Amino acid sequence: MSVNYAETKEAVKSLIYQACLYQDDLNWDAWLKLCDADFQYRICAYSPEIQADMIYLSGGLEDMRSLTGMLSKHNSDHSPLRRHCVAYQVTVAEDGRSAESVSSVTVFQTQLDGINSHVDAGESRLFLVGRYHDKFSINGGDIKFTERTARLDTRRLDKGSHWPI
Amino acid sequence: MSARNHAQWTAAPKLKAGEWVDSRIYSDQAIFEEELQKIWKRSWIPVCHESELKNAYDFRTMTIAREPVIVVRGNDMKVRAFLNVCPHRGNMIERRPSGSFKRGTPSGTPKHMTCMFHAWQFDMKGRCAYISRCEEGYQKRLRKEDVGLRKLNCEVYFGGFVWVCLDDDIDMTVEQWAAGALDVLSPSLNAEPLEIFHYHKAIIPCNYKLWHDTNCEFYHDYLHYHNRITGFNDAYFARKNSGFKNGHINVGSFEVQYDQYEGFESREALSFPHLPPNHWYMIDMFPGVNFNLRGSALRCDLMTPLAADKVMIEFRGLGLASDTPQQRRTRIDHHNSIWGPFGRNLHEDLLAVTAQGACMHQAAENRRILHGRHENQTIHDENGMRHYYEEWGRWLNRLPSDPDRAFADGAGGRAAVARDAERELALEEA
Ligand code: FES
Ligand SMILES: [Fe+2]
Repeated sequence: MSVNYAETKEAVKSLIYQACLYQDDLNWDAWLKLCDADFQYRICAYSPEIQADMIYLSGGLEDMRSLTGMLSKHNSDHSPLRRHCVAYQVTVAEDGRSAESVSSVTVFQTQLDGINSHVDAGESRLFLVGRYHDKFSINGGDIKFTERTARLDTRRLDKGSHWPI
Repeated sequence: MSARNHAQWTAAPKLKAGEWVDSRIYSDQAIFEEELQKIWKRSWIPVCHESELKNAYDFRTMTIAREPVIVVRGNDMKVRAFLNVCPHRGNMIERRPSGSFKRGTPSGTPKHMTCMFHAWQFDMKGRCAYISRCEEGYQKRLRKEDVGLRKLNCEVYFGGFVWVCLDDDIDMTVEQWAAGALDVLSPSLNAEPLEIFHYHKAIIPCNYKLWHDTNCEFYHDYLHYHNRITGFNDAYFARKNSGFKNGHINVGSFEVQYDQYEGFESREALSFPHLPPNHWYMIDMFPGVNFNLRGSALRCDLMTPLAADKVMIEFRGLGLASDTPQQRRTRIDHHNSIWGPFGRNLHEDLLAVTAQGACMHQAAENRRILHGRHENQTIHDENGMRHYYEEWGRWLNRLPSDPDRAFADGAGGRAAVARDAERELALEEA
């Protein structure tokens, strides 16, 4: 079977953007449906203070399912996050069965209840900048995330978040 | 009683002196400046961990009470601390957060701290090694022997933490300063070398003591679903809060039921040495330090007060230096699933103090903040906070419940009680 690289690349990009939309909308179930059974999720950052690579959050598909499923039991900052993402590089494997991508991502937070809402609600602030390093499995027309590493430049996350990036 | 009017709302609560504080201690900039001078510049502060400077010539920079500090490891492997300020024109000597002096810098030679401004150089013992065009400018009036760095008290203690004190006259070692508060964890932390694996910081618009209070009281388990589901049982409610000299406290342990929280696992396999499986100890040290060992991972919080209503908190996570890569991964996961910037508990704690800060910003109206729970000094007793504020009051000679009054007046509680009675009377008359 011949591989149409250009078409596959476009399909991978669409998947990345679809994932952003689902995550922005806190539609975690739909987001995780875009992921393979052996999906691995990770938020990483390099610390120049301790000169080490750090993993801020990690888990497989089931871990992410329970984490997002438990959100309603937790007290969270509900200020919406909006991902601005550009897939800079998509590489499709020669056999057409997998792909990798590097995207630049900026996340803005529009204040709601994380601070004094009377004053601050409605204001948008930069929450973080970083990159997505994603991996995909491709089975015919079916493309799924097998790996997402959100590698953050921003290390002062202040209150942080309960939500996967 | 129904909702209260202003006079009732601002009246002294029906609790004893020492069981509440005035919110001004969290919002008044003048009190804040006094705290920096009288407390933060006179206390032992664990500024970093020795694994952050593994090799000779490694360094870390930080500030204590706005004073720039540098910690360096000498060729003799000894860790020393200096003010990170150049004796020439007061420039900050090293600007990076960490690194090594082994290699030269654009203005300086290897194995020296060099001030880039006019290239004065210093060795790892803080001696000035070089003044550019010295004789030409200073003739014989000033020599490099006259312009060494300002050295600071420095000790490596308690599992390899690097402690610095700005006060030359402190008459205590770190061990004496800790006054026994660290003993519950010393065997676990001193058994073998530790290594840092996590560092992140948060700047929060609230007073530093609000964060310390949160670390000192466990009644806020109601904030954390995780704590309630994995904790609440008889053994949990029997955990003891103990006070130590110099304002420190610690909280006794029990066995956490991690598997009660979906997606979490027992930490038994990776317990720190000498620690029973899944046990959890907590130490809060005056004026703003926390050590928190949950079975497999150690967390340390260090507060750097920035303003009356602003604090920077640095969060460190540590494991054993002997960890295999797989063990380390698991420890990191245990640590960050609760305490990382995307962890379940830390976010909740930071949200809560942010919301407190929003009510206690600079010049906010004074309120009464209650620290009055008594439960036989067990986990939901608020004796930890009371113990802290007794010490705080002594250092500043201010009564926490009425900071314009001398602590001495209220120390025994008599004067404060009399004053409470006066207030109540006035209120009734009104
Ligand atoms: S200020 Fe440092 S060398 Fe001049
Ligand atoms: Fe907490």
